[in-house]
Amino acid sequence: MEKKTRVRKIHMTARERNDRIFAGALLLPSVLITVIFILVPVVDSVLKSFLDYKVKNIISGVPGTWNHFANYIKLFNSGKLGMAIVHTLIFVVGVVVAQFLLGMALALILNSNVRFTRFIRSIMMAPWVVPTIISGLIWMWMYQPQYGFLKFLIQQVTGGMVTDFAMLNNPATAMLGIAIAALWKQIPLTTLLLLSGLANVSEDLLEAATIDGANSVGRFFHITIPSIMSVIKITVSMSIIENFKQFPLFWTMTGGGPDNATTTLAILSYREAFVSNNLGSGAAVTTIWMLLMIVVVFVYNRIFKNVEMD
Amino acid sequence: MGAKGKRILSAVFRYLVLAVILIFLMFPLYWVLMTSFKTNMEAYRFPPTMVPEAPTVDSYISLFTVDNFFFIYYKNNFIVSGVTALVTLVLAVMSGYALSRFKIGWNKWIVAALLSAQMFPIVSRMISLYGLLGKIHLINTRTGLIFALIAAMLPFAVTLMSSFFDGIPRELEEAAIVDGAGRIQTLFCIIMPLVKPGMVAVGIYSFLMTWDDYLHAVTLIQNDNLRTLSAGVALRYLGELSYDWSKVNTISVVGILPIMILFFAFQKHMVKGLVAGAVKG
Repeated sequence: MEKKTRVRKIHMTARERNDRIFAGALLLPSVLITVIFILVPVVDSVLKSFLDYKVKNIISGVPGTWNHFANYIKLFNSGKLGMAIVHTLIFVVGVVVAQFLLGMALALILNSNVRFTRFIRSIMMAPWVVPTIISGLIWMWMYQPQYGFLKFLIQQVTGGMVTDFAMLNNPATAMLGIAIAALWKQIPLTTLLLLSGLANVSEDLLEAATIDGANSVGRFFHITIPSIMSVIKITVSMSIIENFKQFPLFWTMTGGGPDNATTTLAILSYREAFVSNNLGSGAAVTTIWMLLMIVVVFVYNRIFKNVEMD
Repeated sequence: MGAKGKRILSAVFRYLVLAVILIFLMFPLYWVLMTSFKTNMEAYRFPPTMVPEAPTVDSYISLFTVDNFFFIYYKNNFIVSGVTALVTLVLAVMSGYALSRFKIGWNKWIVAALLSAQMFPIVSRMISLYGLLGKIHLINTRTGLIFALIAAMLPFAVTLMSSFFDGIPRELEEAAIVDGAGRIQTLFCIIMPLVKPGMVAVGIYSFLMTWDDYLHAVTLIQNDNLRTLSAGVALRYLGELSYDWSKVNTISVVGILPIMILFFAFQKHMVKGLVAGAVKG
């Protein structure tokens, strides 16, 4: 008896060791690529944010020199950093909230007994597939100041009172213009994910609530929402990260203008690093950007702390 | 108002909201398609025409004959996205399987690394990769770009793939091993065929996302002959004082087409896979 368990134990550890070697070999290439092309560069760029490091350092091979936080101080003092943070937060909050509300509305409608849902579910994904640069082009054409469709639409709606509507050329509306393009591309996926959550809400529970006299609004807030909370949590966090990282739409549609009205952290970091060729300063912006993102995700997770993940 | 009246009113409201959102999602695509068939004269007319008065394929012909650069970008993008998707798929199958089947202490560290990797801004990586790839002579090469893109795709691909392996009962492997099959044989001949839907989802997703890439290509490639579609189009056709809008719209249509066909051909797998991976992963 004793001998048998011991044999098994040795056998198990041998198998465990083999498992480790096999699993390790399978994981190694992915881990290496992730470390080399993501984790090391990110750490490296944080370190570079403390250096006087420009493109000419790369060309001449001279390492950057420690510059006593000058990159950060300069960005703060010029007011650029604060402005970019505000623009980023406005964009993220606005798009995430609007995306959730519109996506939820569409998902609820498609989950109810309207006609052609299968067909609509299929074609509604089209904007999501359009490459970001091209969705920027599409909306630039819609907004085009002389011949754009939106100018025409606004002219019709206002009865000819507004005839020179130029979404992206006006600092007051440029951000909205980009937000609309972002929503256009992202609403389909949000809707798709929320729909998958709605499909799993228990019919029995909804029926029981109806019998207990709950109206549709009550059912929505007391049964539907709590049942799909984990899906909501993931959908919204995906949307936060995606919009925090948004770069191509800004870069193609406005390039950060007019008058810096759409200069977000993404645009500022790219401009500092690859237009002004000051990589150290660009790295300082991305470091602040990452910190901000960590704070936002942390706060977000605290708010949703009680949501159980299945 | 009676119960019936209320019901009708709510149905009307629902169809109205549905129509507004659908028009918002679909109209821009219609508009681009229509503009691509207009002459520049007609495209620059105000108020605009809803349907081309004199439909023409001139801008398509000129794109195919004069602007050969566009097709260099196009070809490059197919190479880059295709190779990236393929390699990502193979790596995701291997790692996803390992994470799903072997509960080893390092798993939680690997998952944490993958999750955080998804969050880091791309510009942050590019600032460093620009120098690092230069040192190992991978800047301005497709290989360098492909490696950077594989790294960007892996986190989501691995988590997605591992959630598919989670759905396969372990007994299958036990039985295969009892029958004398080796580990590698078991993975590739017995388990892998069962996760084909997941592999389709991961492959198409990676292709789709790399086709969308702009920032990697624009920083890591400076040679016009190696540029991919998004970077090439943005640099060549944007930022000029006067846009050739017919051509820009034609480029949009041709740039969307392959990806649209791919997506709608595999939509069933894609949607199922994405939902499974994102929501349960």
